[in-house]
Amino acid sequence: MKIIAVIAAYNEESRIAGSILDAMPYVDAVVVVDDGGKDKTAEVAHSAGAHVLRHIVNRGQGAALETGTTYALQNLGADIIVHFDADGQMKGSEIPMMVEPILSGQADVVLGSRFLGKEAENMPLVRKIMIKLGLLFTITLSGIKVTDTHNGFRALSRKAAEQIRITLDRMAHASEILDLIKAKRLRYVERPVTIFYSAETLAKGQSTLKAVATAKDILKKKMFGE
Amino acid sequence: MVFQILLTLFALFAIMKTIGQYRRAQVSKYWVVVFTLLWAAVVIITAIPHLADILAGYVGIGRGADLILYCAVVVLTYAVYRSIVRDQKLSAEMTSLVRAVAINQAQVPEVEPKI
Repeated sequence: MKIIAVIAAYNEESRIAGSILDAMPYVDAVVVVDDGGKDKTAEVAHSAGAHVLRHIVNRGQGAALETGTTYALQNLGADIIVHFDADGQMKGSEIPMMVEPILSGQADVVLGSRFLGKEAENMPLVRKIMIKLGLLFTITLSGIKVTDTHNGFRALSRKAAEQIRITLDRMAHASEILDLIKAKRLRYVERPVTIFYSAETLAKGQSTLKAVATAKDILKKKMFGE
Repeated sequence: MVFQILLTLFALFAIMKTIGQYRRAQVSKYWVVVFTLLWAAVVIITAIPHLADILAGYVGIGRGADLILYCAVVVLTYAVYRSIVRDQKLSAEMTSLVRAVAINQAQVPEVEPKI
């Protein structure tokens, strides 16, 4: 079983090596997609031992994950794809626990959740409220019952990864993936994961304003299919 | 009368500009014809304001100015719609292109970890 971690990175030169080295012991290869950033993310990732793909123009996180996933399937013959983060918010040591349901044939997709027992560390209240609102919004629209809709930690079997083609280039891809799980009737389970919020990642992360743009992308896809 | 003169001059300028772009192969002959007819219509209607009122009467609108306004809204809305659709198509094509280049030029790690 070839397990490949896919990381979408945008201007993460200071944190990307840590993420790669954190995931490396638990996977067969790490694929980093530098999403048209202006810093040395690609060089650092390459030195850290990752396969590096460069978007020559910034296309968004959804697009970058799709690029990395396509590469992992086509060029590396991945059996399991793990979507991992670029800035040390996730724990590599939780990867085995995430892929276990796929290895045992229990599920096609494993979704990380911040709300299944393990409490996220240092999660600010505003972030918590925004996540809960996003959750309500997504559950209402996609009719899929999960506890955390916008967690970037997920594992996909080859079959699932081949069927989940991300077309929403920006941040709405998390909801798009849930929609596709439902539409393609893929078996999914959730697993509790630890997400660490540091001042650095919070400064860069999702703003409340961006959430509105994401909601717009989701609604547009829902209503008009594009 | 001042407005009519200024508008006529501007229309001539716009038509010449379009013809210039056609000569440099930036627009097709189709657009030269469409824009020339459009600007000619604008000049004629402003020169003979009464004309628009007559046309408006035929289609059941009170004033000529209203008819022009309605037509302008319809034409502009359609133009914006077309532009949005094209923009989305271009964006999707751009992503495909960027993806293809990225996969094509992938850097494989020098020391393969486990594979």
